[in-house]
Amino acid sequence: MAVEKEKLYRVHLMVCAGTGCVSNHAFEIKEALEKEIKRRGLEKEVKVVTTGCNGFCERGPLMVVQPGNIFYQMLTVKDIPYLVEEHLLKGRPVKKLMYQPPEEKTPVPVLSEINFFKKQVLVALRNRGLIDPEKIEDYIARDGYKALVKALTQMTPEEIIHEVTISGLRGRGGAGFPTGLKWQLVRNAISPDNEKYLVCNGDEGDPGAFMDRSILEADPHSVIEGMLIGAKAIGATQGFIYVRNEYPLAVKRILIALDQARYYGLLGHDILGTGFDFDIRVVRGAGAFVCGEETALLASIEGRLGEPRPRPPYPAEKGLWGKPTCINNVETWANIPVIIDRGGKWFASIGTATSKGTKVFSIVGKINNTGLVEVPMGITLREIIYDIGGGIPGGKKFKAVQTGGPSGGCIPAELINLPIDYESLTAAGSMMGSGGMVVMDEDTCMVDVARYFLSFTQDESCGKCTPCREGTKAMLDILTRITEGKGTEEDLGLLEELADTIKEASLCGLGKTAPNPVLTTLRYFRDEYIAHIQDKKCPAHVCRSLNVYKIDPQICFEKGHGCDVCRRNCATDAIIGSKGEAHKIDQTKCIKCGVCFDVCHFGAVKVE
Amino acid sequence: MITVTIDGKKIQVEEGTNILKAAEKLDIKIPTLCYHPLIEPYAACRVCLVEVTLRGKTELVTACNTKVQEGMDIQTTSPRAVQSRRLNVEMLLARAPAAEPLQRLAREMGLEKPRFPVRDPQEKCILCGLCVRACEEIVGACAISFVDRGIERKVMPPFGEPSVACIGCTACAYFCPTGAITYEDKYGRKVIHDELYLGPSTAIRVPIRQAVPMVPFIDEKACIHFKTGRCQLCAKVCDRQAINHEMEDEVIEVEVGSIIMATGFKPFDARRIPAYGYGRLSNVITALEFEHLVNASGPTGGKILLTNGEEPKSVGIVHCVGSRDEHYNEYCSRVCCMYSLKFAHLIKEKTKAEIYDFYIDLRCFGKGYEEFYHRLLEEGTKFIRGRVAEITDLALTKEEEGKLIIRVEDTLLGVVRRIPVDMVILATGLEPSVDHNQIAKIFNISCSQDMFFLERHPKLAPVSSFSDGIFLAGCCQGPKDIPDSVAQAGAAAAEALALADKGVFALEPVTAEINEELCSGCQICIGLCPFKAITYDREKDISVVNDALCKGCGTCVAACPSGAAQQRHFRDRQIMAEIEGLLIL
Repeated sequence: MAVEKEKLYRVHLMVCAGTGCVSNHAFEIKEALEKEIKRRGLEKEVKVVTTGCNGFCERGPLMVVQPGNIFYQMLTVKDIPYLVEEHLLKGRPVKKLMYQPPEEKTPVPVLSEINFFKKQVLVALRNRGLIDPEKIEDYIARDGYKALVKALTQMTPEEIIHEVTISGLRGRGGAGFPTGLKWQLVRNAISPDNEKYLVCNGDEGDPGAFMDRSILEADPHSVIEGMLIGAKAIGATQGFIYVRNEYPLAVKRILIALDQARYYGLLGHDILGTGFDFDIRVVRGAGAFVCGEETALLASIEGRLGEPRPRPPYPAEKGLWGKPTCINNVETWANIPVIIDRGGKWFASIGTATSKGTKVFSIVGKINNTGLVEVPMGITLREIIYDIGGGIPGGKKFKAVQTGGPSGGCIPAELINLPIDYESLTAAGSMMGSGGMVVMDEDTCMVDVARYFLSFTQDESCGKCTPCREGTKAMLDILTRITEGKGTEEDLGLLEELADTIKEASLCGLGKTAPNPVLTTLRYFRDEYIAHIQDKKCPAHVCRSLNVYKIDPQICFEKGHGCDVCRRNCATDAIIGSKGEAHKIDQTKCIKCGVCFDVCHFGAVKVE
Repeated sequence: MITVTIDGKKIQVEEGTNILKAAEKLDIKIPTLCYHPLIEPYAACRVCLVEVTLRGKTELVTACNTKVQEGMDIQTTSPRAVQSRRLNVEMLLARAPAAEPLQRLAREMGLEKPRFPVRDPQEKCILCGLCVRACEEIVGACAISFVDRGIERKVMPPFGEPSVACIGCTACAYFCPTGAITYEDKYGRKVIHDELYLGPSTAIRVPIRQAVPMVPFIDEKACIHFKTGRCQLCAKVCDRQAINHEMEDEVIEVEVGSIIMATGFKPFDARRIPAYGYGRLSNVITALEFEHLVNASGPTGGKILLTNGEEPKSVGIVHCVGSRDEHYNEYCSRVCCMYSLKFAHLIKEKTKAEIYDFYIDLRCFGKGYEEFYHRLLEEGTKFIRGRVAEITDLALTKEEEGKLIIRVEDTLLGVVRRIPVDMVILATGLEPSVDHNQIAKIFNISCSQDMFFLERHPKLAPVSSFSDGIFLAGCCQGPKDIPDSVAQAGAAAAEALALADKGVFALEPVTAEINEELCSGCQICIGLCPFKAITYDREKDISVVNDALCKGCGTCVAACPSGAAQQRHFRDRQIMAEIEGLLIL
């Protein structure tokens, strides 16, 4: 690998190559661009760069033209010749490929003017969309490894830890343990042979969460630099990045980044000639959710069964192979270089009294702007959902938001002005978690949501301790029963009894937080449970076995003229009627599959 | 020491003690299912939950793995703890309704039936992981593990196939609290011929239950520690710290004035007579095995049973197995007749079996022996005179099926008979012990034709050997029963004492000596000396005679090429002078 001397170009086309855009054919767009640029003879003026995830995944595939910060979205291969001709050749940005907010008439050409990006504060994602993640030179050009040089040459370990402590940075994996304190504990821990380890937890498993993946894909060097600084602070010589193998692109880019860092003498023996040794190994996880729990993760690295063990002793005293181990989340590590570079005080100036800095969230679900955002702590849910997220599609009503993945809870619409920080989320019965945010609209059944998340934790429970193994299954059975209309009044009491015990008696965080979705939905949406149990009705019409499908004969006859599509699609011959006349459903035969509802073009099939 | 409060009572315990053990000291029992004092706590069953208040913070913790801390206030029966515990037991009961300790715990908590669906009413495994942990931590074999996760979790060897890593130690079954793990031997029965000791034997045991002294030993072939380097549980539980796995055999040198040889015998190996089927046919056992079987502290508690666990209906006792037989040992082993009669008597006493006694001659020579024989005759034991030709399980008639058939020529009737029996006891004879020859060489003891040690004189010196100060006692000198052995041992001890009491030992006056100046160091004499009385002095490069060992036989004197060896009082000059004197007459 030789150091390539970069040529200068007039225009850079930053094509997003995050997993979302790649699956939307971003690489084909890139090829088409290169082809077109060559055809037009612009290859010496224009350079196509693939970057990590831009964040605005909803609108992919994306491209940003620099300079100018012009944002193009939802590109197709067909658009490319026109775009190249208009923008690159004639210098006229193409309006029809720009983002147009639903409520406005004119498109917004500049990225920083778009609402989705406007309110974001980028710290962990500082390089997103600006660098090629596979080029260390790009990272260094953006002040990369500057903090490392500072930490290695000008700071003592105590000073590094002090800086992290005053920054108020807390673990971004979800539990929010103060990072500076953790480092101090590991530094103070006595290791018989002076061996200490450092682990980056990239076993992101929450459904709908992809923050860690995006950081590893878009900016792997920021994590490596963070780990290097951490290693110097705690005195570790070996680091591990534990990443799930379902993230092939992330694994590929970390491996490239590690090779580059080693080549530049930023990893390995005698780093930057300071006599400091540190290296990082990538450990690929098999994708068990429980391996995100730190003790289970350590067991997995050691090659043992990925199941948690009781704490204490905490990994800070006895971690990998019994040695003191510092384990932090990907996002936490990515924050470190900025804190060292710009100072802990600067970092602490962002956020609230107890939660400092920014947090990356992935907003998914029933929301207009699905994507990855980084916002300062203390921002309200309303700002995230409406200002950044662009509100709920189809003008539907916002009902709740689930934070913290399967371990978190559902926060109802009443609490939309809740400021986001560790404490307020916990008080609302949810948690910060690793930053997944699932938005739900009025068409969502909260019992079904609780059942869904519980089926996830039930499936992912390692099975070591009784409450989590048996209890989640028992709760899931009850919830399934309720969604099938077989629930009884006692079920709610039993559900709460189980939830309390699982929360208090489980061995690890997975079990301790597993009942959260049920507890919060019971707390905020109890009436929905009661509707399922007493009235045998699902207010959102999601639980199909509680639905009754009926055909409005008037609509069927007048609008559809008895089109007969429903009868032909019914699997159980439950629909009576022939072409030209109003149809009827035989309720004794109906299995409530909902096919008739889906196929009716005239809205004649009604759900009750 | 750390002071904690448990249920309002203060107690001082050592640092590092877990709550479970601290509570035990106060006689407070905290229920637990996955804890075992010899295995690292696992904290999986969550049945030992207690409520702990420390520095103003109250939480539920598991008592098995939580170490006590100064000022802890522990509530073992707080409503919160009891409620959680109860629900955990209820959930476990739905998983493993057939687990006996769980049922007991549920009854204690007043639980009748779990509110949750029971998946398998026969299930016993509560997933406490004791088996898996024992296999890993104690045995070091790692042959079984948990597979799958969540509700599907179970214990299995890899892929559910018999594991190559399993060493068959059965530690998993031993630690399983619910009997969910069972094991059987290869044939589904207890093997008795593969080893002398009936029933499953452990790696630590006493040689036999009637052993004197009753000292346990570690069988290195069976001990897990010598296979995997782990375990050493015995050393952990022995509060006398008497177990040391690193101990090795050592040679101890003791200086003594006299030696009594009592090296004993070995029983004749009945496998050497293939026609008798020992080792091949079950229920053909040797006298020593029967002795073990019939002993009240033996494997069956003194009951006489066949390998299938039933009582025999007929028993054959075969005399002179390996004795009085020109193919094996020609001598009479002297004890077999009497112990055979004793066996017949015991079998009569304990079972209703028919007893056949096959003898050549009955040698009831001791005091009261003949009377015992007559008593046996009265009791109805059938004595058949004749040497047994063959023992087989090949049935010729219906009555013989499933039995052992003894083929014998009844010399009193003059016919060949086939007698079907359930059990055959072989009255094996006595043979010199295994390393008899080596011992003889070391101590320079001669052996008689039957290879037992030879006494100096059968009548006048029956306990002395040819070496002074070395005496013989018991069966090393020839087969004999216990009274004879005791008598001989007494005599040998008296002889040894007589020597010790005297304090001095009068040497033979007529011994050889070697003239240092004449000896060339050719060492011819050393090889010739029958008493090993001559040694070689490397420093002076000459041979030296040990006066205490020399018997004055004169072999060396005659053989010495340089005339350095001379017999005291019979020097060449003296003998020549004597001859001269004779010739003058």
